[in-house]
Amino acid sequence: MARLIRTEKEVEGRYEEVWLVVEEDSLDQWPAGPREIVGRDAVRVDGRERATGQAVYTADLAKPGMLHTAVLRSPHPRARVARIDLAPALAMPGVHAAIGPGDIEQLTSDCSFQGEAIAAVCADSLAHARTALRAIVCEFEVLEPLLDPDEAVRQGSLLGEARERSRGDYERGLAEADVVVEAEFRTQVVLHNSMETHQAVVEWMADGVEVHISTQYIWGIRDAVAQGLALPPDKVRIVCHYMGGGFGSKNSPDDYTFIAAELAKRTNRPVKCALTRREENTAAGNRNATIQRLTVGARSDGTLTALGGEFVNAVGWDGWSSGTEGPMQMLYACPNVKTTTYGAKLNLPPMKAFRAPGFVEGTFGLEALLDELATKLDLDPLELRRRNHTEATPEGNEYSGKNLLECYRRAEPHWERRHEVRARSTETVKRGVGMASQIWYGGGGPPSYAWIRVGSDGRATVVTAMQDSGTGTKTAMAQIAAEELGIPLEHVTVTLGDSDRGPYAAISAGSSTTPSMGPAVRAAAADARGQIEDIAEQRGLKGAPVHEVVDVLEDSQILGKGARGPNPTGMQVLTFGVQVAEVAVDIETGEVWVERIAAVHDVGRVINPLGASSQIEGGIIQGIGHTLSEERLHDPATGRLLTTTLDAYKLPTIADVPEIVSELIDEPDTHLTNLGSKGLGEPPIIPTAAAIANAIRDATGADVRRLPISREEMLRALREAETRQKEKVGAPAGV
Amino acid sequence: MELRRASSTTFDGLPVHGGTEVVPLLRAGLLRTDTLVDIRGVVPRDIAPGRIGAGATLAQLECDPGIPEVLREACRLAASPQLRNMGSLAGNLLQSTRCWYWRLGWPCRLHRVANGYGDECFARDGEHREHAIFANDYCASAHPSDVAAALLALDARLRTTARELPVAELYRLPTEADRRTTTLEPGEVILEVTFDECDQSVYLKAMERKRWAFPLVGVAAARRGAKTRVALAGVAPVPWLLSGELDSATPLPRNAYKVDVARALVKRARATIGA
Repeated sequence: MARLIRTEKEVEGRYEEVWLVVEEDSLDQWPAGPREIVGRDAVRVDGRERATGQAVYTADLAKPGMLHTAVLRSPHPRARVARIDLAPALAMPGVHAAIGPGDIEQLTSDCSFQGEAIAAVCADSLAHARTALRAIVCEFEVLEPLLDPDEAVRQGSLLGEARERSRGDYERGLAEADVVVEAEFRTQVVLHNSMETHQAVVEWMADGVEVHISTQYIWGIRDAVAQGLALPPDKVRIVCHYMGGGFGSKNSPDDYTFIAAELAKRTNRPVKCALTRREENTAAGNRNATIQRLTVGARSDGTLTALGGEFVNAVGWDGWSSGTEGPMQMLYACPNVKTTTYGAKLNLPPMKAFRAPGFVEGTFGLEALLDELATKLDLDPLELRRRNHTEATPEGNEYSGKNLLECYRRAEPHWERRHEVRARSTETVKRGVGMASQIWYGGGGPPSYAWIRVGSDGRATVVTAMQDSGTGTKTAMAQIAAEELGIPLEHVTVTLGDSDRGPYAAISAGSSTTPSMGPAVRAAAADARGQIEDIAEQRGLKGAPVHEVVDVLEDSQILGKGARGPNPTGMQVLTFGVQVAEVAVDIETGEVWVERIAAVHDVGRVINPLGASSQIEGGIIQGIGHTLSEERLHDPATGRLLTTTLDAYKLPTIADVPEIVSELIDEPDTHLTNLGSKGLGEPPIIPTAAAIANAIRDATGADVRRLPISREEMLRALREAETRQKEKVGAPAGV
Repeated sequence: MELRRASSTTFDGLPVHGGTEVVPLLRAGLLRTDTLVDIRGVVPRDIAPGRIGAGATLAQLECDPGIPEVLREACRLAASPQLRNMGSLAGNLLQSTRCWYWRLGWPCRLHRVANGYGDECFARDGEHREHAIFANDYCASAHPSDVAAALLALDARLRTTARELPVAELYRLPTEADRRTTTLEPGEVILEVTFDECDQSVYLKAMERKRWAFPLVGVAAARRGAKTRVALAGVAPVPWLLSGELDSATPLPRNAYKVDVARALVKRARATIGA
């Protein structure tokens, strides 16, 4: 029965109150462990078409008569366009239209960050469009940019209010501590750098508009485009069949979609607007830099008495101040916690969600701080974490499911390797092992719907207007439907990626696709299965295979529908895990390399172990880039970006990838939906940086406090450790 | 732009061999020409003991057992397999700095502006962690060629269409009066590299990731009898022959770490070749 409820909805750690129509199915969860199809390895159902180039991504799309766009973006972090003349561009060969400030909301003459769109030209080829763009006359009045996050906080240049969160009595907690550790951590700006750059192809139809776009959120794009173009949402069709990476940066339509829409309207042609790689490194969003000034107080047995922090998110000109304080607030049982989080508004390109925004940065700070504490207390870091484990949320609520202690137990054999790893150190290359815990959301939620049709051939098609953001969702959904229907996996087709073909589906962000969509697909399949069972009874074929039951149906079809039920009330749905990193540090050259990472994560029931291990590997590799080599740099005086190409912005290569061992607890969350599955997109990147930093400390005694751990930072930390050691040795006895 | 194939080493236009450097520079607007001349057919590319055609690719050199270790390793640790398949020996020697200010076309001392050249080095006061620690007072750019350091350590000679010269003389530090970083004249093409055998040699390279990165510091060392030559990549606006120790370096505020890295690698290189 449909039920209208008021509920809290969470995406990427942000909550909002929404009205929801929820339909609860009466399906019991499958018993734990591998089933016939669910819980067993499945290769990607669309792997062949992706690998052979048959899959048409938005970047591959070439509509007849399609025009190409080049966008003039501000080269300055803060500037006013004093004069602009589009006429010379319009006179260039192949040019069909040009638009500038005032033509649409997304084009401005008042530029507040480098990369902000000012004007755009469309032409019959990309080369013509780019050449024409250079003909635009644009004069700037360059203004002084605000670049320093601390200065922004002092001036009150903030995005939103400062966020104060507190429980217990922090000051008293500090007073009760036997040991207090304070440290400042800094994390850098990193870029998503999706293989497929941000782009859209827009065409105006007789009745509405059709948008092909590389996106993680078909329905969010539909609403935003409808609003932006003042159209009824059902006159907006959004298509995204294949997607070349998003990592959180493709949740909204952005300037390129509206630029293409306006130019398509003016030219009456389909128009593509695609970011170049340089634009992708400038104007496609980023993981913002943070400054974290942290304090921990503990008794000599390791019991935490106080945790506190001032977090400055260097958000950029727009975006939101993510939950960098989240891990400190949520991970441990500490009774006294006080955090303040600022979102500094700067003349730098806006942040966008990037794979566990805030928690990646905050976990680096918190978990490195905890290991500094463990060193001071001479406690085993794993034991320190066990002693501060919490069975209920710090606010006293229940978790829907939590197996963090089991993760720790499963991590033990990896943790035990540290003696043997350290023993392999040489005079100049020191080896060590470090660990870090992971906490994050990932429960998904309603609404999300799926339809299913079963033909007389016994084959099923799942229809839902969701997207596969490249994570293998399509395969997981096919597995769930096949399992529920009791038919082979290859007899299920999943059609997705088109808002005109199928019901509403959730965003692919916040590790929510599988936990949001999976239960809806199972419910739809169960609805169809129920009907098939009715027919079987009438045919005297009870218990017979589906294809035998339906083989007389000819053109009749079994239609099923399913919806995602609500999340459990009064419970927090979270994911947990731990990673153990083994690193080597060349103490003379400051080179750091990772030799092995073991990851143990608790995300409820695992649908496709093969897909899950691929998610873990991807997250860890992205995490290694974040930890060791990636950094977007800007010129300190002018704020102009310096790393806009892939030779300057250093993503990890395959040579930087260590042995990765992934393990999943695979225990269904009994309170969560008819599947008990949570998401796994984000968890694997969360503890990687801290685990590496802690392994470096184990190897060398050096406290690295800044990402990326460049040679400069590594050598600085080594020198600092050496000085500390000398002081200790040189100190008078008894002091 | 017109693309032509050279029929001899005399031609008008901008020469291109593998294109791994020229094409990106053209696309970025840092090089301009009306005529691009493909010289692959006219530059020798054969490899003989102590003699290498300037058109040999890095991929050819990295797996040739007759090539001294220092040069082979410099090739092997450069770029990526795809780039090494295309990039030529001489092209590698002639590549421009990776200084991000220069690559982004900031009006610095090496770039032409409306009336002459720029009059600032933005890296010196700006972001210079990858920049020069020697001879950096006028321009702090770092020379990115691993191969050039290897040839400098080997004391190699170049034969061009106009002259023969030691590899060191191919390069010059830019000055107020003359901003060029090479001595190659317009129309002059490098044809061949020659060098004497050495007893032992080695190339060590510090990068920001394991592969496919320009050197933060590259150390090339070659020993003939009791005499050892050590040359560095990534530490000065030109390939840098080390005379004396690293104490004479003049690092900038954010790249002093390079001196430590270089010191460690030089020590190792010397130890490896028994210097």
